[in-house]
Amino acid sequence: MSATSLVLIDILKYTVAAATPLLFASMGGLFSELSGMLNIALEGLMGIGAFFGMAAAGLSGSLMIGALAAVCAAVLGALLMGSVTIRLRANLFIAGLAMNLLSGGITAVLSQWWYHTKAVVAFSIASPPAIFPEFLHAIPLIGPIIFTQSSLAVSSWLWALAVAAIIRRTRHGMRIRATGMNAAAVAALGFSPDRSRMAALIWSGIGSGLGGYALGLSISAFVPNIVSGRGWVALVAIYLGQRKPLWIAASCLLFALAESLSNYIQGFSTIPPLLVLALPYAVTLISLIVAGKKRAAGY
Amino acid sequence: MSSESSLRSSTRLSLAVGVSLALTCAVLALFSADFWGALGQFFIAPFSNRYFFGNFLADAVPLAISGLGVLIAFRSKNFNLGGEGQLYSGALVAGILALRLGQATDPLELWIAASVAGALTGALIAALSGALKAYRGVSELISSFLISAIVVNVVDFFITGPLQDPASNFQTTRQLAAQFLLPKILVPSKLDISACVALALVAGAAVAAARTRIGFELKICGENEEFARYCGISVVRYDVGAMAFSGALYGLAGALLVIGPQARVMRGFSSGIGWSAISVALLAQGSELGVVPAALFVAFLGAGSNQVMIGSGIPSEIISILQAVALFFITAQALPRVRRRRKA
Repeated sequence: MSATSLVLIDILKYTVAAATPLLFASMGGLFSELSGMLNIALEGLMGIGAFFGMAAAGLSGSLMIGALAAVCAAVLGALLMGSVTIRLRANLFIAGLAMNLLSGGITAVLSQWWYHTKAVVAFSIASPPAIFPEFLHAIPLIGPIIFTQSSLAVSSWLWALAVAAIIRRTRHGMRIRATGMNAAAVAALGFSPDRSRMAALIWSGIGSGLGGYALGLSISAFVPNIVSGRGWVALVAIYLGQRKPLWIAASCLLFALAESLSNYIQGFSTIPPLLVLALPYAVTLISLIVAGKKRAAGY
Repeated sequence: MSSESSLRSSTRLSLAVGVSLALTCAVLALFSADFWGALGQFFIAPFSNRYFFGNFLADAVPLAISGLGVLIAFRSKNFNLGGEGQLYSGALVAGILALRLGQATDPLELWIAASVAGALTGALIAALSGALKAYRGVSELISSFLISAIVVNVVDFFITGPLQDPASNFQTTRQLAAQFLLPKILVPSKLDISACVALALVAGAAVAAARTRIGFELKICGENEEFARYCGISVVRYDVGAMAFSGALYGLAGALLVIGPQARVMRGFSSGIGWSAISVALLAQGSELGVVPAALFVAFLGAGSNQVMIGSGIPSEIISILQAVALFFITAQALPRVRRRRKA
């Protein structure tokens, strides 16, 4: 195999891995989006998931317990947001901002308290195992790109499938969608739009928590600002994918490709790394502008 | 909204302030070995001498200026979440200009040039988000955040690359000569005449909002876009204008820091001010004059957190938690239902 194709395979393999956190978070955020809430707290909830997930996994040595803790912590955060916005009728954006602030504050304070540092907290945790049998790795192209992926990456795609099924096929999912389309009609039918919105926020907490945990596992550590904008990118993926699971997944892959390329370029080019770091945001912004044009034409 | 369940804004404000102060005490009790000492440090240190008091006031200046911009943008329902980048880039451009002009000008010209340049930079960046909202239907929350994330990286690049001071061990530009820095008010603290600029801006904005056509039309755009269109008001112009205005104030705040207390552009020096300014705008509850006490309150929490951090090892990020809690309360419109039922 030539050197270029090896590089290409490397970039694509990392793309799939980098899509994992985005996929978890954006599919979770899809629920809140469908229920009519622009949840800008995905970012903060991912940070919470990353910290508590890694802390629990480090303590117990079990990846599953880590995942459970990540979900519980992020769902608690989502419940807090839900009670403030739905029960106390607070402004959703402001509550989202507050959640993001809270996430940064709590993780920094607890990190100082538990690990006596605000910087990198490294954990010795076994990385998520590869689950496809060895012989599949030999398949050209697909083998090294897809079949070498960890159970974590695979579960993010299962999660995406599950979300698609829930929003399309279940009463629960349809009620959430209906709430976003016409909350008054849902109320008139005797269902509670508030309950659907709360459920949607909880789903977004589950997704963001897992997404943040996936970020932590990918570097076996918790660092401040570990999420660094990925919650926002996940939010844009929902927009760009026009709230359709398949297209959201494609958007996540696109943004992950930008991240993967930016990582690659940093290692092998003379372009200053700080400028390369801006690449994923730039790709996200441009995609948003392009998608926005379509939307404006639709009106 | 039924009147019995809605909270008056004064109640919300006292809840927000009260709870964040109570939480501060709780955290101090939990984390510090010497509770009373830490409490004293937190609440009294900013007032203990001229130096601390002046620095505390100086911290409030950029918060008041940029918080005012956020408040005005909020009024037209525009959420500018890109303050971090707008302030940072305003500071950079002002810094470049000030360093370039150097000895060639007199200080007053340099201050004006740097302030205008900083404000224009912030305004341009924020106006882009406003235009994207107006012409492409892109949420200004998301675009302003993303643009800010890009801008921060670009500014970091300039500071650590082409503009790095070769003589310094820090990631920073060269330093401005002392005669080109804004005159200090409360020596030895870092408070300078930018405090007067902040007060003048707040007063000017309050008058403009209450007395001018622009202030009135801006308010209508925020309260009822459809009605504004019906009245022949260009909503697009106010979307872009309000974002540009808040960006300009962010940029100005950055510029004033560079020609004032900072005297240079150091990497990450303004990190967090952009977000705190949003807290200030929310605490001000829609009133321009309210920006001043709100900025003082947020600066007070910040000064206290820094003091305590030095004293007892509690990370200064504690201020994020306090601000978050204050925001939750300030934005709550109703009491919990349980409590309402009990009352009935």
